[in-house]
Amino acid sequence: MATHALSPAVAAYRGGLYEWLTTTDHKKIGMMYVLNSFIFFLIGGIFALLVRSELAQPGIQIFTNEHVYNESFSIHATVMIFLFIIPMLAGLGNYIVPLQIGAPDMAFPRINALSFWMLPLGGILLLAGFLTPGGAAAAGWTSYPPLSERGALASPGPGQDLWLASLVLIGTSSILGAVNFIVTIFKMRAPGMTLFRMPIMVWTVLVTSVLVLMATPVFTSALVMLFIDRNYGGSFFNPATGGIAVLYQNVFWFYSHPAVYVMVLPAMGVISEVLPVFSRKPLFGYKAFIFATAGIGALGFTVWAHHMFTTGAVFLPFFSLMTAAIGVPTGVKMFNWIFTMFRGQLTFSTPLIFSIGFLTMFLVGGINGVFSAAVPVDFALHDTYWVVAHLHYVLFGGSAFGVFAGIYYWFPKMTGRMLSESLGKIHFVLMFVGFNLTFFPMHMLGLSGMPRRIADYASDAGWNDWNLVATIGGFTIAISMLPFIWNVLVSLRNGKIAGDDPWEGNTLEWATSSPPPPYNFDRLPEIRSERPVFDQRHGLGHGGHANGGHDDPGHDDAPKSLPAPGAAS
Amino acid sequence: MSSSPRKRPASEAIVAGGVVVLLIAIVAIVLLSGAGRSLYPPKAATHEAAATSGLYDIVFAIAVAVFLAVEGLIVWSILRYRRRPEDVDLPPQTHGNNFVEVLWTLIPTVIVLYLFVVSYNTLNTVDTVTTDPDIRIQAIAGQFQWQFEYLDAQGNHIATQTKPNGDGGGMAVPVGERVQVTLTSHDVIHAWYVPRFLFKRDVIPGQTNKFEFTVNEDEAGQTFRGQCAELCGTGHRVMLFNVVAMTPSDFDAWLQNLIAVENATPPPAPSGAPVLKEEAKNISFAQTTLQAPANAPFVIEFTNSDPSSITHDIDIKDSGGKVVAEQDTIPGGTKQDYTYPALPAGTYTFFCSIHSNMTGTLTVQ
Repeated sequence: MATHALSPAVAAYRGGLYEWLTTTDHKKIGMMYVLNSFIFFLIGGIFALLVRSELAQPGIQIFTNEHVYNESFSIHATVMIFLFIIPMLAGLGNYIVPLQIGAPDMAFPRINALSFWMLPLGGILLLAGFLTPGGAAAAGWTSYPPLSERGALASPGPGQDLWLASLVLIGTSSILGAVNFIVTIFKMRAPGMTLFRMPIMVWTVLVTSVLVLMATPVFTSALVMLFIDRNYGGSFFNPATGGIAVLYQNVFWFYSHPAVYVMVLPAMGVISEVLPVFSRKPLFGYKAFIFATAGIGALGFTVWAHHMFTTGAVFLPFFSLMTAAIGVPTGVKMFNWIFTMFRGQLTFSTPLIFSIGFLTMFLVGGINGVFSAAVPVDFALHDTYWVVAHLHYVLFGGSAFGVFAGIYYWFPKMTGRMLSESLGKIHFVLMFVGFNLTFFPMHMLGLSGMPRRIADYASDAGWNDWNLVATIGGFTIAISMLPFIWNVLVSLRNGKIAGDDPWEGNTLEWATSSPPPPYNFDRLPEIRSERPVFDQRHGLGHGGHANGGHDDPGHDDAPKSLPAPGAAS
Repeated sequence: MSSSPRKRPASEAIVAGGVVVLLIAIVAIVLLSGAGRSLYPPKAATHEAAATSGLYDIVFAIAVAVFLAVEGLIVWSILRYRRRPEDVDLPPQTHGNNFVEVLWTLIPTVIVLYLFVVSYNTLNTVDTVTTDPDIRIQAIAGQFQWQFEYLDAQGNHIATQTKPNGDGGGMAVPVGERVQVTLTSHDVIHAWYVPRFLFKRDVIPGQTNKFEFTVNEDEAGQTFRGQCAELCGTGHRVMLFNVVAMTPSDFDAWLQNLIAVENATPPPAPSGAPVLKEEAKNISFAQTTLQAPANAPFVIEFTNSDPSSITHDIDIKDSGGKVVAEQDTIPGGTKQDYTYPALPAGTYTFFCSIHSNMTGTLTVQ
């Protein structure tokens, strides 16, 4: 059991499996989120490798039953989105947000445990589809009806129903988690932690939680309607019985586009923590960054139909304009990050390297997205490998690099031990090279006309070389996980002792021990800016022996959102 | 308090700047070389595609400029501002600058507004449907094949091309004439996509989509590949079709021929040959075992009882997987006598080339 592997380094928590299964401690729950998400990352990765292996050369090599190929890419995407990126970032937030605002735990610790335990259950339900006649869901992660309706050539088996049930469960987990984050952030902040002194990570989790709360119920309604269509003779989406096929797409993307920001904002939060620390400078334009985050959140609800430009059922100019507009706050953030490094003193530890990986790759994902905002160009590129390239530059080059930046950054806090820097750099180089080998050629494939989700292509279509390169890249990414896993396993036992604050951090999680005690803080430094630990280290403020400490872990209804006396402005 | 950071040696700036210039040079060389060609869409084959291609060039130029500027800034920053052992004091603690924030909000806003305006103008060229096109074609998508029905000005049937690609197949269009395509599907969502047209449009059941194009005059004689671009099931990848560009006179002859073929009575099955029967219904064969005599031609009288958008055929492969007989597909609601060559004794598999789940065993003895 992996819990045993973790326990030596977190001796303070030793209490056996029972302790982990029943815990309501946000830190243990956060670590279980991270571990669970990483396991699903590996599962999703295996499906990706199967798909890439099939596409390495023309002809059918692996999937003599092509239905299994469709299952593979459908489950790959579903797992990566709903069981890796979203919960991985929620898990990092779970661990870090209460620490960063000086709270002893989340507002609703038991609901927090419930949110977590729904995830492995949802994952098992999803994968159980492979054991049913007809196999797992095979209509893509988007599962557009009528293909996802019940029918001989559509989705006859129970795999699609399991997909729906699984996503309802995971969505409920997200909603509960979002409520928990919002209440925690508004009601549990330490004295002096005003909204505009909150770390950016906390801000991004807050905006993300609002997006989840507003969008996920809409998505759940689409899932339930499709379930009714399939099982009880409903006719919401099936034109054969009077339904409207495009209605599903509208409802689906009304959630799934904001979900892209759910998947990327907390990763932006991570690198907004890492870049200042390793540049020895504050984040450039803290408030502008917050407004840009809120702006992305708001505009995120006005662009969903850019996934539907080719349906002929969309008011094109509006969604084109809004899609172009959402590039602006994203650009503001990019410049703020760069100017955080500008004239700083950069230490190239692994967290910073992964953050720079995020910057360089997310930039590509932003730029190639603009092509699709130009509607006529989207007519050419939609549903081709160009879009596959775009979404992976955003979600892998962006979010996944941000996730690894966060893991390397907070691993010492979580376990009390440092990860190996040299293995971390090997991991980065392999992953960065592998990533670009895999996904950059997909631009060329898409431009020359290769559609998504095909199991095979003509050998004279001109797609052979780039597909082979992409497959080699895919396996390079897989290999890059080996030094990472080795690093974690070895460092848990033998890593250098981290101490409270190995990186000279800015935010409150670095003001407590590594790992923190169950109640998080013995005492808090005075909070007079968004960098209380920085202020304490450099003797700004009043020395950090002020009144912030609260030792009682059960006492979480204390009024903590009031600013400390004299701390205003 | 820390202050007065150490003055950085000029050599660092030279190295950092040199690397950035090198990166820009590499990108420029790649873009101007043959490899750069693959970052552009294929040569536009229609008037509309030419407009889209022109728009792509504008977006691409801006994209490259932004990419180089921002990546250059990142690379310059990480090379120039790495921490050195003598960096003990903190660097200046800059918290931000409202002027530059406004600047880098306004400049991207102007860029994206410009992009919106040019793409909107192009959209009016690419996505216009007229009332009097020269040619009307209804493209019918079904799992997993295309059919193209030619219509007259009143929308009445002229002839149907049931063979989407291959010899004598494909959607023929005259160059230089405005073609209107109406898209219909009776099962799931498909998408009509021709890469060299730089265009696709979803084929959605319960909804009629239309688009128009005019193939460039110098493309007569060319065949353009197309295929379904929206996941439609297990046979998604086999939903291929061609668009065949012809001179108007060739097109007229082609269409007359199609009408003649459609009206001709099918040739009778060769007399004397044994006749087997097979029916396709609900995307499966009614009989999954057939027997035929060895070393003699035989006929399968094939009935397709599925809806008209679903096409089937009966091809045969030997036990080694080698295809020994291929037939043309027929749409639902029609029948055809397929004639097969003499086969040596053995066990064969017969299958529908469109639906991989439709197979059966043919015993030749």
